[in-house]
Amino acid sequence: MSDVPFKNPGWAGNTGEFDLSEAQVRGDDFVGKRPTAGGHPSGASTYPYMLAEKNPDAVLFEGEYKERFEKSLTRYPTKQAALLPALALAQEIRGYVSPESMDRVAELLELSPAYVRGVATFYTMYNKAPVGRYLVQVCTNISCNLCGADEVMEAFLRYTDTEPGETSEDGNFTVIEAECLAACGFPTCVQINSRYYENVTPAEVPKLIEHLKAEADGGR
Amino acid sequence: MAYPYVSDREVRVLSKNFGDPMARHVDEYVKRGGYQALKKAFEMGPDAVIDEVKASGLRGRGGAGFPTGVKWSFMPKEPTRPHYLLCNADESEPGTFKDRELIRWDPHQLIEGVLISAFAIRAKHAYIYCRGEFFETTQVLAKALEDAYAKGYVGKDILGSGHDIDITVHLGGGAYICGEETGLMNSLEGRRGQPRVKPPFPAAVGAFGMPSTVNNVETLSIIPHIVTHGGQWYRQWGTEKSPGTKLFCVSGHVNKPGNYELPLGFPLMDLINDVCGGMKDGKALKAVIPGGSSVPILNADECASCALDYEGVIAAGSMLGCASVIIMDENTDIVKSVRRMVQFYAHESCGQCTPCREGSAWMTKILLRIEEGRGTEEDLQTMLDMSKQMTGTTICVLSDSVAAPVVSSINKFKDEYLALIRRGERVGVA
Repeated sequence: MSDVPFKNPGWAGNTGEFDLSEAQVRGDDFVGKRPTAGGHPSGASTYPYMLAEKNPDAVLFEGEYKERFEKSLTRYPTKQAALLPALALAQEIRGYVSPESMDRVAELLELSPAYVRGVATFYTMYNKAPVGRYLVQVCTNISCNLCGADEVMEAFLRYTDTEPGETSEDGNFTVIEAECLAACGFPTCVQINSRYYENVTPAEVPKLIEHLKAEADGGR
Repeated sequence: MAYPYVSDREVRVLSKNFGDPMARHVDEYVKRGGYQALKKAFEMGPDAVIDEVKASGLRGRGGAGFPTGVKWSFMPKEPTRPHYLLCNADESEPGTFKDRELIRWDPHQLIEGVLISAFAIRAKHAYIYCRGEFFETTQVLAKALEDAYAKGYVGKDILGSGHDIDITVHLGGGAYICGEETGLMNSLEGRRGQPRVKPPFPAAVGAFGMPSTVNNVETLSIIPHIVTHGGQWYRQWGTEKSPGTKLFCVSGHVNKPGNYELPLGFPLMDLINDVCGGMKDGKALKAVIPGGSSVPILNADECASCALDYEGVIAAGSMLGCASVIIMDENTDIVKSVRRMVQFYAHESCGQCTPCREGSAWMTKILLRIEEGRGTEEDLQTMLDMSKQMTGTTICVLSDSVAAPVVSSINKFKDEYLALIRRGERVGVA
């Protein structure tokens, strides 16, 4: 890990340090200790949807994941309403939403496979193809753009040696442009998997990539 | 407290806990007087709560500025079917970043607001629709909600009052259009987030076909304060027609961008020069977008006397929207900025209505062409003609949002377009 901690005001709210874990930054148990089964049903459909370690062959909706899926079902008057949470869950388990995953979701919710594809393709957050260990989404919309988001995007592409949407050779990174991430006062905002990094400058990109690589190599 | 930046001209009601990581703990929230407004609301009864909110003059903070109390009064008084309250936390208007802050710093304030509002409209179930990208935000909210359930503030027979209200956090899938209230309802029901034709209005046929009300996070977060202190108390700030305080999300070329809670009617130039510490690098002001990317751009002259309330910004030639103030300095490339916003709408158009689906895509192509120095002067007229056909002709206002920055920028910054067209010259950063 680098000597100089990367500043990460987004996570810490002010001037937290990048090397801290999510829970440390919070100083409490709000983030980072959530059960796979989804805790209380009221929030069951809000758990991690993008994890670094992806397993495209994992069996869908088994064990704790099944529990979470069933909890979501109890929160809506119709089965169909659990479609978005179910797609997010499928993506969390496998890293993307494959045609086979969509068919399985359709079966569980008693919807037609074509309908589920129609809905899944409407939303940008369901990856239709596998992505790297880290999906890097750089906001290049107006506020970030005024403050140099294009240069941040370029830096990510240069240091990961990829084209937009392409996965790097080591399987670590897929870099894409994102639309406004609602962190306009802290430009440039970059979402990496589920996590926001704010006030990112082009000069900080190599350090950030190095940190993520170390995390990928050494586990946590 | 040093929440990114604070100003002594702020009135921190909604935002008083920003930057304080303790406030999200239920015990701490209660210690500071939390959930007292809920008890009071139960004693007052639903109609008295609606009257109090009407008296406050609170206007919806999601962008349209419709009076909240009036909206609530459209809901049936004697429920024969389930009612739903939907909290719109699908914050995705470029330039807006207030709801995320409200949720992650003060989740219980929102939960209490949701409970009181659900009680007022006689809903037994409320959904908080968060945009899918807000992972960390919803984790904070889900944890807070879990704590509130455990303490008996949410769920069955709340605080022994006999009232049942459930709250569910729902995560979207990344689509701007789900922030439109009927698009949000479709998305919640597990459909594509395409807006519905109105009428019927949500208060008659809403989510799951039942009477529903959609309110923004900021609107619901202020409700506990209004119930506690009364509608008249809220009117001590702001103007006659735009009472109260509002979170202003300032981004772009200023020294201290961030969220500032100010009374409505606050002068725009004071916001830039005083609250936000002036323009970055001392540069001159070129343009301001006062309400998120969907509203017309103001030039520096129009900004000079602009007051930031709903009427004041209309008088200046734009709209307050959700008060997302985007500041642009003298070196800003207006054509590129407009292209970037239009490109966003082209990406986010749901595709139902032809003027929007086709118009936003064509507009992007024309703007790119001009940017690359391959445009013609006729292109400007073409875009103005297209804008006319894209305004007021579609189910929702996304199409109008494409036209607003295009028309206003052509009218106010025509020279920049012409310079690019005639000589391929570009203002600002290369």
